[in-house]
Amino acid sequence: MIPSDPKKVTKICFDRIDIPDQLKLSVARENGAYKFLPTVLEKFDADQIIDEVKTSGLRGRGGAGFPTGLKWSFVPRNTGKPTYLLCNADEGEPGTFKDRDIMRFDPHLLIEGMIMAGFALGVHDAYIYIRGEFLHEANVLNEAIAEAYAANLLGDKILGTDYSMHLTVHRGAGAYICGEETALIESIEGKPGRPRFKPPFPAIEGFYRCPTVVNNVETLSTIPAILEHGGAWHAAIGKPNNTGMKIFSVSGHVNRPGNYEVPMGTTMRTLIEEHCGGLQHGTVPKVIIPGGSSTPWILAEHYDVPLTYDDLAKAGSMLGSGAVIVMDETADVVAVTRRLAHFYAHESCGQCTPCREGTGWIERVITRVENGQGCENDLQVLNDASVHMAGRTICALADGAAAPVLSLLKHFPDEVRSRLKEKSS
Amino acid sequence: MTVLYINDEEVTVAAGTSILEACRGHGAEVPYFCYHPELSVAANCRMCLVEVEGWNKPAASCCTPVAEGMKVRTQSEELEKDRSMMMEYLLINHPLDCPVCDQGGACKLQDYAVEHGVSHGRYDEMKRAVVDHDLGPFVSTCMTRCIHCTRCVRFAEEIAGTSDMGVLDRGDHMRIDGIVEDCLSSELSGNLSDVCPVGALLDKPSNNVSRPWEVTRHNSTCAQCPQGCDITIESRGDEVIRIKPDRDGVEPWICDRGRYVYDAFRSDERILEPKVRENGELVSSGWDDAMSRAVTLLQGKRVGIVFSPYWSIEGLTSIRLLYDVAFEGSRVAFDLHRRDMRKFSFEEGFSMTTQQIEDAEQVVVLGSDLRQRLPVLMQRLRKRINAGRPVTRIGAMNYRTNSSPTQDALIRPRDWPAVIARAMEQVTELGKLAAGMDEWMSKVKGRHGAGKLLADALISDSCALLVGEEIRAHQDAASLIYGLDLLMRACGHTEEDSDGRNLIPEGMNAQLLSSVFGDVRTSAGELFDAASNGELDALLLIGSDPIGDGLFPAQAKAAIGGVPLVQVGAISGEISQYADVQLPAAAYSEIEGSFVNMEGRVRVAEHPLKSIGSERPLWKVMMRLIESMGVEVPAINMTELRDHVVRFVPELKAVWSEGSAALIMPVRNRRETPLPSGKKQTASLDIVSRYSMYREGAWVRASTLLVEAGSLHALDDVLVHPETFKSAGLSEGEGSIKTASAELTCHIGQREDVAPGVLFVAKRGVAGDLSSESVADLTGGK
Amino acid sequence: MSAVENALPQFSEVRLEEIRALIARYPHPRSALLPVLHMAQEDFGYLSMDVQTMVAKTLDLHLMAVREVVTFYTMFREKPCGTYLLEVCTNAGCMLNGADDLVRHLCDSLDIKVGQTTDDGMFTVAEVECAGACAGAPVVQINNAYHEKMDAAHMDAFIADAREKGGEK
Ligand SMILES: Cc1cc2nc3c(=O)[nH]c(=O)nc-3n(C[C@H](O)[C@H](O)[C@H](O)COP(=O)(O)O)c2cc1C
Ligand code: SF4
Ligand code: FES
Repeated sequence: MIPSDPKKVTKICFDRIDIPDQLKLSVARENGAYKFLPTVLEKFDADQIIDEVKTSGLRGRGGAGFPTGLKWSFVPRNTGKPTYLLCNADEGEPGTFKDRDIMRFDPHLLIEGMIMAGFALGVHDAYIYIRGEFLHEANVLNEAIAEAYAANLLGDKILGTDYSMHLTVHRGAGAYICGEETALIESIEGKPGRPRFKPPFPAIEGFYRCPTVVNNVETLSTIPAILEHGGAWHAAIGKPNNTGMKIFSVSGHVNRPGNYEVPMGTTMRTLIEEHCGGLQHGTVPKVIIPGGSSTPWILAEHYDVPLTYDDLAKAGSMLGSGAVIVMDETADVVAVTRRLAHFYAHESCGQCTPCREGTGWIERVITRVENGQGCENDLQVLNDASVHMAGRTICALADGAAAPVLSLLKHFPDEVRSRLKEKSS
Repeated sequence: MTVLYINDEEVTVAAGTSILEACRGHGAEVPYFCYHPELSVAANCRMCLVEVEGWNKPAASCCTPVAEGMKVRTQSEELEKDRSMMMEYLLINHPLDCPVCDQGGACKLQDYAVEHGVSHGRYDEMKRAVVDHDLGPFVSTCMTRCIHCTRCVRFAEEIAGTSDMGVLDRGDHMRIDGIVEDCLSSELSGNLSDVCPVGALLDKPSNNVSRPWEVTRHNSTCAQCPQGCDITIESRGDEVIRIKPDRDGVEPWICDRGRYVYDAFRSDERILEPKVRENGELVSSGWDDAMSRAVTLLQGKRVGIVFSPYWSIEGLTSIRLLYDVAFEGSRVAFDLHRRDMRKFSFEEGFSMTTQQIEDAEQVVVLGSDLRQRLPVLMQRLRKRINAGRPVTRIGAMNYRTNSSPTQDALIRPRDWPAVIARAMEQVTELGKLAAGMDEWMSKVKGRHGAGKLLADALISDSCALLVGEEIRAHQDAASLIYGLDLLMRACGHTEEDSDGRNLIPEGMNAQLLSSVFGDVRTSAGELFDAASNGELDALLLIGSDPIGDGLFPAQAKAAIGGVPLVQVGAISGEISQYADVQLPAAAYSEIEGSFVNMEGRVRVAEHPLKSIGSERPLWKVMMRLIESMGVEVPAINMTELRDHVVRFVPELKAVWSEGSAALIMPVRNRRETPLPSGKKQTASLDIVSRYSMYREGAWVRASTLLVEAGSLHALDDVLVHPETFKSAGLSEGEGSIKTASAELTCHIGQREDVAPGVLFVAKRGVAGDLSSESVADLTGGK
Repeated sequence: MSAVENALPQFSEVRLEEIRALIARYPHPRSALLPVLHMAQEDFGYLSMDVQTMVAKTLDLHLMAVREVVTFYTMFREKPCGTYLLEVCTNAGCMLNGADDLVRHLCDSLDIKVGQTTDDGMFTVAEVECAGACAGAPVVQINNAYHEKMDAAHMDAFIADAREKGGEK
């Protein structure tokens, strides 16, 4: 059970994670699932819910950190069109694996969060867009949803109230870009996942051109606790403007990789040393990618950075999805960059010129450099091809693709140069 | 309205305008590839970047709406760097083959490379190789040159209405792909090469024929259908090498028929000199000989004159002058699809512009395969449909409409009276009445449910009624059209403000033909019968090919074989086999003259191409014929001729003298009140023949390109609904068709989009001669 | 109907029922395309042109719309693959924990290159992007089931076991 004293909170999304068997609705219910739902459906109105979420300070956990309550308040009412809620469970950002654990260990938490969000937004059809590879997780969700339907937690007239909501799991099919919210919408419309330009924003014209809210799994899973304990309670956890708990997916050269839910503001060092059991080799990391592969790298000098949106921005990077990839002294940073460059070239949807051509170009050049066939000029090419792609495209994939390359050039120019064919040109 | 600043200049544009359009409208140049004013915004080329004050990164101007007080900058050092990088991204995989590329000299990529490009590429890796596609007879591809702007895909989907093109794969493997089924099923496919900003999609027929800088351009009007598109004819010397839409014209697109008919201009089928038949052969003769032979055959005789409406207004009037001075007791016909010669309440022509039709609250298409008839108008309706605005369609078939009308009903031609009567009943219930309606209704026994769709559309504030060939060719056309007129009146679509009545004409200039020939016209079918029955002594065909076109090929063949024939025209065609004299008349690209399209819009052609043989403008041929008959010539120059035209169509005076742009309204006959005949059909099936834009018209048949396209788009000769087939007790494809005049056995195809009870003659040839009949029975096959 | 259409593979009646129910869950049937392609791949092994044509007909879509989707998403295969599809994640997290060595080991011991299938049609080795399970690096997906913290020994055992069982999954 989550304590109602914010100071005592140690977990929100992972509160029930260790309870065995709680995929079963009965077990989940015994442990608090759907406990507060009738109150929300009967006593709350939409504005009140949105206000609580605004007060909570909750920011989107999918990567961009946009305030959730504010996003919800953009949805126009009475348009005559239906409003849709899409849960972003695409989890494709390299290094991120937190949503998977929520879905496979506590599916009812997500379902409850979606019912509450859907109620606040006047949604009658909601979908979970889950990456295609998560077949097991999709099956778990489907079983949980079936049980929820049987218990009238989903479907028509939920728990005897006037509110009806249907929930469908929709599997993707292997495309990182479909995590981008407008690409996700295209994809669930049965099309290739090519992002749409904005405006119009999904809140106004999204799924089939109707008002649509896209939220991350972790974001939605936080809603039940916020409504039960109040926005102010959530705002008291973490740091101002960076409230609540956050799940960090830590991978790479640490001794105990895994998901750790900690209060916002915990330092990177604490996360790595106390929770993850430190590094495999050495004492300080060579590189930390703090928020998923698309975020700029930080070095040991920022080992004590508090894990908040604002502090990581100050350190020149981003909190992103909270995927911390740690590299110790044994890491070959050129090889890692090449591998990530391959990822972005492979995953670019192909529509924007700079991203389509730039990601491939970068991959080919960095591969050459890695293989000892590069020349001094290539540094300039890598820089230009990255700089002029970032921020000039429809979506932020290109920014993500530029981040590792620019980080490499910024922090490890000598290591790059040492790999060149001729050392000068 | 929104006020913003573009390069420090204050600019006011409509709210919601994109920055790019605001810039374009105010002369601030912004480079772009993927933007196209007629297509949806894709914003994928990222070439159109501009700076907006206060924004931390450049904005793609094509997809960013203006905002009040926004300060936009289109030039800066940073932007120049971005643009040159965009060019570098695009060029890393683009072949450097400008010297051999047809687009060279008219290529956006080439232009911008010069303007924003970098002097030398820094790309040393492998270039991408992409396979080419077969996109049919009109488009050739060189896909390695593709820059992925997706203009072609958007064109195909949004304008042509086919989903034949798409984007496969992703990342830098992404490629444009075309046609996964038989052929690019669009009659607008030729526009693809115009739409492509680089040399990836090229005009196949004119590929490698010329470079853009070698050609001269003449503005002209396409005379291939009543739409009368504004075109630019490109020629090298006197040879027509390409036809394109006129950039400043009303429509940005032209159809494949209008574009590729240029192939006929230089074909062997052109009549380039006067000929006479000697010992069974047509031989060149010189004008004098040919004229005197023609006079011998025609003078003092009862002559049947059949002409096509595609001539200029001046040319058509000269036919009337010839008729008036020289051929008393003769007959004249031009509409090869009209059986009922009683006056129509509203004659051929539109009372609305295509824009008004696109904007009307409701559009109803009655009995027309609009996609083949008027592809460019259909494209407008498709836009409506895509935008979710209503289009109702009632008719005998909805074969491949390339869009789904919001309301659709398949009916047999014999159902029309019942459809109209049902609509009358419905509007009467709503208290909407017109004098005469009760009487009209009382003549019709049955009622047909499709009438409800018609009534529902008619009761709106503005309704465009598009009446097509299935009604125009109906035995009882005049009464049907009167019935529709009554309905329109009852629903308040009065003549003065919102007329809404549009009868799709047979061809270009037909809007005027009721004025010029309304008092003397006869049915082409009857004219041919008269010739066969000895009531006529000779035939004079002026650009008309009744064997190849229209509903009376069998009668025409019988008639032409029996009497002497003088052929005047630009294309010889099948009837030249029968001609005793052939007189060459200039093509529409080679004359000065006026054309009026279905909307009543007049275009005056002033800078013709030179004749390539000894052909003369039609009016000169007609005057010479008059002169040769020893009659005083009514007009010796264009001015005098136009004075005659004005007698028939007074509105043209202002057009010629003051350049008035007023539209000419179609003729109305409000005194006639023809009522439905109530005649019962004995045979079980109604015959409907297909109008094919790849086959109809002598010009088209002389174009190898169009004929080839026609064969790609071909259907079975005869089509019926599977139900019809079953109820005739047939199982396989063969069947016997029995009409009053003939019986034949042929392959019969089945399609769901043909109305049950209709025998759809899709193609001439085996079943062509059926078209003159209107009913038939289907009997057992093998 | 022409002969070509008759020859198309067909969904079972049970599947069609499932598809109808699926379509009802969306505002527009087109949304069912990805799930239906998953079903088709499960039923027919891979998405041949015929299968794609059949899916297009089933959902009343243009074939090109299906082609666009099939070629965009990496999980959809236009060619058959081995009984066991071994997909090794080689993205950052797994790379830092020996994924490349694992791929090399698999290729060497099966004597194929990445993307190829063994001659007996049993195994296909592929490299994939981050599987979203980096705590278990290196991750291998075998026919869509996640196998975490894999190493050469684990894989060898798996392969030996699979061989023993023959072609049965
Ligand atoms: C290339 C790209 C990939 C993304 N992938 C994901 C993802 O896998 N999961 C996710 O929740 N958000 C992802 N996002 C962020 C989404 O666009 C969106 O911001 C998020 O789903 C909103 O939910 P939130 O406000 O709850 O965070 C991605 C964004 C980009 C640009
Ligand atoms: S930035 Fe890349 S992935 Fe994003 S829309 Fe453009 S081309 Fe697609
Ligand atoms: S014209 Fe704006 S992105 Fe292409």
